[in-house]
Amino acid sequence: MLLILEVIGLVLLGGYEFLQVDWRGIDLESQQDQAVELAVFALFIPSAVLTLLSALSFLFLQRRGWLLAAIAQGLSLAVCLWLYSWFQPGYVYPIMAYCILMILYLNSQDVRVVFRPGQSHQASHEN
Amino acid sequence: MKTESPGVEVKTALLRRFEPVIRSTTGDKFYPLDVEPYVRACSLWVQRPGEEAVCVVPGGELSLDRLAQQPMDEAGAVHFLKFTDTEDLGPNSRGGRLRMFRRRAKDRKESTRAFRAGRGRLARVGYFSRFVDALYSIALLARGRVPGESAAAASVAYERIMSEHENYRYHGRVLRQDGWVVLQYWLFYPFNDWRSGFFGANDHEADWEKVMVFLSESESGELRPEWVAYAAHNYTGDNLRRRWDDPEVEKVGEHPVIYVGAGSHASYYAPGEYLTELTLPLPSPLARVTRAIRTFWKTRLGQYVGDGEEDGGSGYFSIPFVDYARGDGLSVGEGGDKTWDEPRLISDPTPDWVSGYRGLWGLYARDPFEGEDAPAGPMYNRDKSVSRAWYGPVGWAGLDKVAPPTEMLEAILQQRADIVSRCGALRAEIDVKSRQLKKVGAELAAMRDRSHLDAPYKEGTRRVAELSGELDRLRGKLATDEAVSESLAEYSDRLRAGERDQARAHISRAHTPASEDELRVSRVAETWAAISVSLMLISFVGIAMFEREHLISMLVFSIAFFAFVEAGFRGRLVNLVSSANIGLAVVATLIIIYEFFWQLVVATVLVIGLYVLWDNLRELRR
Repeated sequence: MLLILEVIGLVLLGGYEFLQVDWRGIDLESQQDQAVELAVFALFIPSAVLTLLSALSFLFLQRRGWLLAAIAQGLSLAVCLWLYSWFQPGYVYPIMAYCILMILYLNSQDVRVVFRPGQSHQASHEN
Repeated sequence: MKTESPGVEVKTALLRRFEPVIRSTTGDKFYPLDVEPYVRACSLWVQRPGEEAVCVVPGGELSLDRLAQQPMDEAGAVHFLKFTDTEDLGPNSRGGRLRMFRRRAKDRKESTRAFRAGRGRLARVGYFSRFVDALYSIALLARGRVPGESAAAASVAYERIMSEHENYRYHGRVLRQDGWVVLQYWLFYPFNDWRSGFFGANDHEADWEKVMVFLSESESGELRPEWVAYAAHNYTGDNLRRRWDDPEVEKVGEHPVIYVGAGSHASYYAPGEYLTELTLPLPSPLARVTRAIRTFWKTRLGQYVGDGEEDGGSGYFSIPFVDYARGDGLSVGEGGDKTWDEPRLISDPTPDWVSGYRGLWGLYARDPFEGEDAPAGPMYNRDKSVSRAWYGPVGWAGLDKVAPPTEMLEAILQQRADIVSRCGALRAEIDVKSRQLKKVGAELAAMRDRSHLDAPYKEGTRRVAELSGELDRLRGKLATDEAVSESLAEYSDRLRAGERDQARAHISRAHTPASEDELRVSRVAETWAAISVSLMLISFVGIAMFEREHLISMLVFSIAFFAFVEAGFRGRLVNLVSSANIGLAVVATLIIIYEFFWQLVVATVLVIGLYVLWDNLRELRR
């Protein structure tokens, strides 16, 4: 659920940035704002796709969902940190906060134990 | 308590009855031989502090008797033998040099044909270990080392000895210790070519290895094998030892089978490829800080920290070496390709060549880590102290806490009798203290609410607490002793009924060969492991030279790339992603705190206030 929420957020942000780009007058050297918006749009696409895939994997209780979700969080956070280091746009802070919470949640003992290799199979037998 | 009783014939017969079968690995060139022809082929040298090494007895003139005299001894002097001489490969002439290179090339060719290294020594360990491994190899240039042509020269000298008189011999010793009859099989190899021949840690002249069989003696005097212990590198204790009926101990009749590490000559119970890691511990303050962070992370934040051993426990990185003990080469002993010659007995009194010569049995390479220096004889360590395997073989194998079967029942009954008598004494003490406590309690009740007795009342209260604590401790001890006594009684009943302990209960960490999964490292992974460290360093240099404008971003990107590929090959992607995420989360948290410090303080206070309000209102509504 949290992951779906994140996908929606990232898609909305990406869509907003996408609409801000003046595609006819693009010049990466001179129009910095346009370039940033394009970069944000491009950089958040993989995160959004991975997050969507991980959400689907979680729904089907597949172990690789955890890895996909973790990679997506790391990627989002890395993009946010890179954006922060260059442009400090306001929207990176909520994304960063959200990713931090998600990382702590994904790495918590209870979640890790469920998705540890061989664990889910065993658990299903016990149940 | 140690006595040596049986005669020479009896000892020899005992040794021969349980003599091991050794199975070596294809490509191995050296096998156990008698020390006498080896010593005859050696020269004796002395290295005195601050001086050049001096040859005391030239090659061909040395004997076991002369060796024991240890001439020119003084404080700090190191005596050593020299087995290999490049002149063995020809005189120091152009023709001689040519012969040496031909010999080395021939040896290398034969060795390559005979021995194929297993997959992925480097692919089985991480970047840091591989980097340290490279440094270790480079350090060999600066450290003392056995010269490159020594293995070839040793091979020539060994062939010469074997052509004069082919022999496969061990040196046997029989002794009694702590109720056990110990059979020691000392195997002497003329050369350890683990590094030059099998990608191992070291090369050195001479190699003493040992195998021990521990026998128990019945009341009728019958001897029965109970335990065996094989030496592997410098390991000692319980993990070396196996019970005779352990399925891991392979036997041919009554002869235990040893799988010998190629070049290293370490002894193993099962055939296979053993990953031996030289673990380097972190400095203790750093280790303490790391432990504290791990504890905080796990207990306070409820976060996952792996299985504990993933990062090496107390040692945080290791240099990997593989010991190939495949058992597909020459075998010596019962049912093998070669049979043992009559053993050389190390009887009582100890021969002079064992007790009198405290020097090294091969070249003294002056290696500060000692890996390239030859070992001392069976009785001594390199520092000339008496070795534990010699004076206390029972303790060396961790058997000092185990009574032989014939003494076990007696030991249990004695221990139980001791505990029962201790319980009696404890009960008497408890009785006395209990009466004392009641009297003080009565005194205290009488003094209560009387202001002029405040001081003795306080003292009485303290005394009651003290006596109460003591009684509590004594009762706890009594309960434990009674439980132990009961457990000893049950254990003795089980033994009387003929039941035995589990054969492997004493083993905490068995040395096991690499599994099929570990060996199934793909060719690509292996190639990656071989080139990745160099590739990474070269890419760093490239970035520093050509991408100075984006130095940090490019370095981060390249490190991330290498780490990601590496983790993928080693199946550690989950660990890498979690670690990277945690690092990123920490940085992001710091940024958020830095940017919104006061807002966060206000929000925290607000949240706490609202929570308290909600909690109190909820209580009001009940």
